[in-house]
Amino acid sequence: MSEPLGLAPAVLGLLLGATVVTALMAGAPRLRRFAHLPLVLACAASAGLAIWIVIQLSAGTPAYRSVPVTWFAAGNFAASAAITIDPLAAVMLATVTFVATWIAVFSAGYMRDEHGVPERGYARYFAVMGLFVFSMCGLVLADNFFLLVAFWEGVGVCSYLLVGYYYAKPSAAAAARKAFLVTRLGDTGFLLGIFLLWKLGGYHTDLTVLFEHIRTHPPDTGSLTTACLLIFCGAVGKSAQFPLYVWLPDAMEGPTPVSALIHAATMVTAGVYLVARCAPVFALVPDAQAVVAWAGGITALLAAVIALTQTDLKRVLAYSTVSQLGYMFLALGAMGAVSPVFAVTAAIFHLFTHAFFKALLFLGAGSVMHAMGGVIDTRRFGGLRRIMPVTHLTFLCGAAALAALPPTSGFWSKDLILEALRDGAETTHPYAGGLQALLLIGLVTAGLTAFYTFRAYFLTFWGQTRVPEEAGHHAHESPPVMTVPLLVLAVGALAAGAVAGPLTHSFDHFLERTPSLQQAATAVPGAKAPAHAFDWGLAGLSTLLAAGGVGLAAVLYAKGRPEKVPPGLEPVVALSRNKLYVDEVYEAALVKPLTGAAVAAGMFDRFLDSFGRLLASAPRLLGHLARPVQNGLVQFYALGMAAGVVVLLSFVAFRIAR
Amino acid sequence: MTPFAAAPDPSAAGQLALGVVLAAAGFVLLLPKPRGRSVAGGTAALLVAAVVLGLWSHRSFGDPGADWVEKGLFILFSTGAVGFGAVLVAQRNPARGAIAFAFVVLSTCGLFLLLAAPFLMAATVIIYAGAIIVTFLFVLMLSQAAGPSDENDRTREPLLGSLAGFAFAGLVLFALQHNHAGAAPLPAATLTADEKAKLADVAARLEPLAADDFYRPDVPKQGRVAQLNAIEQEVGPTLEKVVGDSPGRLEGYAAAGSIRERLGAYRTDTQARTVLARAAAVRDAAYPALRAVETAVTEPGRGDPEGAKAGIRRLRDEVRLLSGSGELPARNVGNLGLVVYADYLLAVELAGTLLLVATVGAVAIAHRRPATA
Amino acid sequence: MIPVWHYLVVAALLFGIGLVGFLTRRNLITMFLCAEMMLQGVAINFAAFARYHGNLHGQAVVLFILAVAACEAGIALALFLMLYRRGRTLDASVWQALREVGVPPTVDPDPLPAADPGPPDPVLTPAGRRPAPTAEEAARV
Repeated sequence: MSEPLGLAPAVLGLLLGATVVTALMAGAPRLRRFAHLPLVLACAASAGLAIWIVIQLSAGTPAYRSVPVTWFAAGNFAASAAITIDPLAAVMLATVTFVATWIAVFSAGYMRDEHGVPERGYARYFAVMGLFVFSMCGLVLADNFFLLVAFWEGVGVCSYLLVGYYYAKPSAAAAARKAFLVTRLGDTGFLLGIFLLWKLGGYHTDLTVLFEHIRTHPPDTGSLTTACLLIFCGAVGKSAQFPLYVWLPDAMEGPTPVSALIHAATMVTAGVYLVARCAPVFALVPDAQAVVAWAGGITALLAAVIALTQTDLKRVLAYSTVSQLGYMFLALGAMGAVSPVFAVTAAIFHLFTHAFFKALLFLGAGSVMHAMGGVIDTRRFGGLRRIMPVTHLTFLCGAAALAALPPTSGFWSKDLILEALRDGAETTHPYAGGLQALLLIGLVTAGLTAFYTFRAYFLTFWGQTRVPEEAGHHAHESPPVMTVPLLVLAVGALAAGAVAGPLTHSFDHFLERTPSLQQAATAVPGAKAPAHAFDWGLAGLSTLLAAGGVGLAAVLYAKGRPEKVPPGLEPVVALSRNKLYVDEVYEAALVKPLTGAAVAAGMFDRFLDSFGRLLASAPRLLGHLARPVQNGLVQFYALGMAAGVVVLLSFVAFRIAR
Repeated sequence: MTPFAAAPDPSAAGQLALGVVLAAAGFVLLLPKPRGRSVAGGTAALLVAAVVLGLWSHRSFGDPGADWVEKGLFILFSTGAVGFGAVLVAQRNPARGAIAFAFVVLSTCGLFLLLAAPFLMAATVIIYAGAIIVTFLFVLMLSQAAGPSDENDRTREPLLGSLAGFAFAGLVLFALQHNHAGAAPLPAATLTADEKAKLADVAARLEPLAADDFYRPDVPKQGRVAQLNAIEQEVGPTLEKVVGDSPGRLEGYAAAGSIRERLGAYRTDTQARTVLARAAAVRDAAYPALRAVETAVTEPGRGDPEGAKAGIRRLRDEVRLLSGSGELPARNVGNLGLVVYADYLLAVELAGTLLLVATVGAVAIAHRRPATA
Repeated sequence: MIPVWHYLVVAALLFGIGLVGFLTRRNLITMFLCAEMMLQGVAINFAAFARYHGNLHGQAVVLFILAVAACEAGIALALFLMLYRRGRTLDASVWQALREVGVPPTVDPDPLPAADPGPPDPVLTPAGRRPAPTAEEAARV
């Protein structure tokens, strides 16, 4: 069973098994202290298996598909339980399990107080986290739209459970509900898109078969565009893109490692993966690509602007995630202008490096929060570099990667995206002009990213040493169980990009063997293939912007002075601080009218109810007449039974006997 | 349509109805209640009902049998069972009721013996003896009634209950009467008593052929060959007659009566078919077995006495089984065990599980919980 | 050999009498015995058909009836014990709380006859004068 097809179910089985074991451990008080062990071991083992799968795929057959087993069928609709393993899935699998392993290790330290006593719900946390990683791995491996939806919803449920981990806290409960409902909004579109695609694709639900059918029997572009846009709705919800990004910043109400998990590996990347997985369809419709690209571009800029003035460290990181996801969609949107292989490689490569440095940053923020007694507002502490040297250094690595300073991994992946945009803008593609504008947005966002990242960094670690009173007298560096994951991820954040990207080109060589990407590439003939040459001009420009942002942040914040708003910029800052009033706009435009509609519907419902009650009164009257029969005496019931048997028997004796 | 129009003999059906109504009336009078209980009237009505139903039974199903001993025992046990059952129902005192039930069980065991089921008789006595003693203990423990009590001196719906119970019994008896009219005793007709006697005789005469003496070379051959031929003369025609007639017998069943009766005959005929198939098998096996014996006797060099003896033993057993078809085997316990553990193994396991679960459940239910619960 | 029909008649009567007892008698233990009597009727049926068909399958079924009856006895007596502990009575009609809401409880119409006191206890004539209590005894009382 060392075939990839045997290993992939083993990954799923390990994670599910860990979940079950942890859930059982929750029932044994003595074992609860060790509830992290099953998950850590299972994640480590599955990360090993995933890397082994990657090695096997890079050496041998590029793709495997399991024999589909019919899951359920009705009419000409049949959903099968099938998994597929190709380089795209393998890369995702390896990233998810590797990052999740270190987050699980970190959680084992984070979810305890300073005496090492686990929090309440320790086992629940690890059980749900296991289910979360399991669902994400299943989502990555699924080769059937309905299986994918099942795992997709599993991810949603687990995020709900984890964001609402402190369910007694009203804000956490509200954030969990918001995360669930907002993603549901996108999922509605996603399901409709699947049904439309099912109809267009010859009533197949298996991804491979469906894409093949669409290639051989191309449907009309209009309906295909609709299907793609509907599917993109799901991606927008899950990956927190404009306009459905509002849930992600609130989702930091959960424990910080959960944010790391959601932002880095397991949840928000699902949308990016979905679009990458559906590349053969998206490559056919330029209109949908333009929507993807613009949604990504707008989100990237918008989130970066909001992040500029946030004072909550985790909130800054959350908006940076939204912004970086926008980058990934930018790259995916260039799918038709450059080769889909190139575009998807750029997006997935950024996803890969982003997983490392975003997990690192969140875990670093978690380490800070752990030491500060739960305080995360950058206005209330500062100068922590002397207290927490390891956290400081690793956070610096992550911040550099997020700001895309060379030679960190973020630099290489962001550069690849910008390169894809630049190449796309130079073609004769109908939306080439748009790509030009998007490239500009990308460059501006790069500068903003560097600024706000280092603003948060300087506010936290530089200046006068200040510690909030919640931290008490024990503001200190975190224990090794938390710093070791930070160190490992810091190495990844620094080196993973260079090793996988420009030094060896192993990432793009590996990914371009994916059959679905090859198929997408044939749909866009003459598109530009990825150039392995390094573009000094673009890289230099983006480096310059990033360095400018860092420099500005250093000038303004490195001394630890309180923030001053430059004159003339007050409205802009207020706009940014209030998150561009998006929540307020939603409240006025969506929530209020919907509440009114709900009240009206309630009144109508009461009217219908009274009508129904009128109808129901007739049987109630009949029931009143028959009621005394039910007198509670067992022997009376037995008498009724005997009388019934007598009637039946007389029928038998007098009618049938004739 | 009157119900009796369906009956083959309306006056017998009327007799049955009279008996049932009398019995119900007797129970209505006899059941304990604060007012209107008449022991003498009820007993008289029940006795009359018993006589009427006995006469009805004799009229509908004929004499119970020619054997006076068997008949007497049957009447003793059946009146015992029914009479003590009536006592159990009508008796106010539950302790006396338990004693009456003991007699019901003993009478039932007697009927089991008459039905060639000694193992069931023993098992029932053992199990119910224990059950009744335990019940008795319960009565002594729980119902120390000093005077009249609700549970012993009142009945729930005596009229409706008696009517329902005896309407049920009466309908079953009516259906029995109806079915008896057109039914034929199936397995008994497959082989007549005469044929069975002949087959038993054949089995006895096959016995010496399986003995070592028969194959001794120093005995003159002629006598043995003559013996062999005589047996063959006996076996062949008898079996030939049974088997040869068999299609005709089956046809005879099937042709008689309505579609429903034919269907019934077909359904219940599996046993007759088995018997006939066995007879055919015996007929086919007889010739080679006897030939083998003949060879072994006449040509001692070529023949195989051991094989011939084994063949004869098999044939003898088959003939015995055939001659006893329609009768229960003598070794009741052994054969019952064979049936239970070969044909009903799963049911045995399930019954065992059920017993275990019931034991656990009884302990759990009767367990005295602490007062806090 | 007695024909099967006669056994069936006895079995039907036994079943019917047991049914009457089960439906009318209110003592839980008597009801239980009546139910066992119905089972006896069924067992006679099976044994008679076993005889009639000349095989042992009917007798095997009777064995299972015995097993089930044993289970039933165990559970039923345990339940009676429970009910007796709760209600201090064996009357099955006491337990009618599961009737439909609004249906009045069933009550027995006629009063029970008064308990027969039996012959009066014998009274002995006093043998001699009753001694008067001493002062010490009077103080103790």
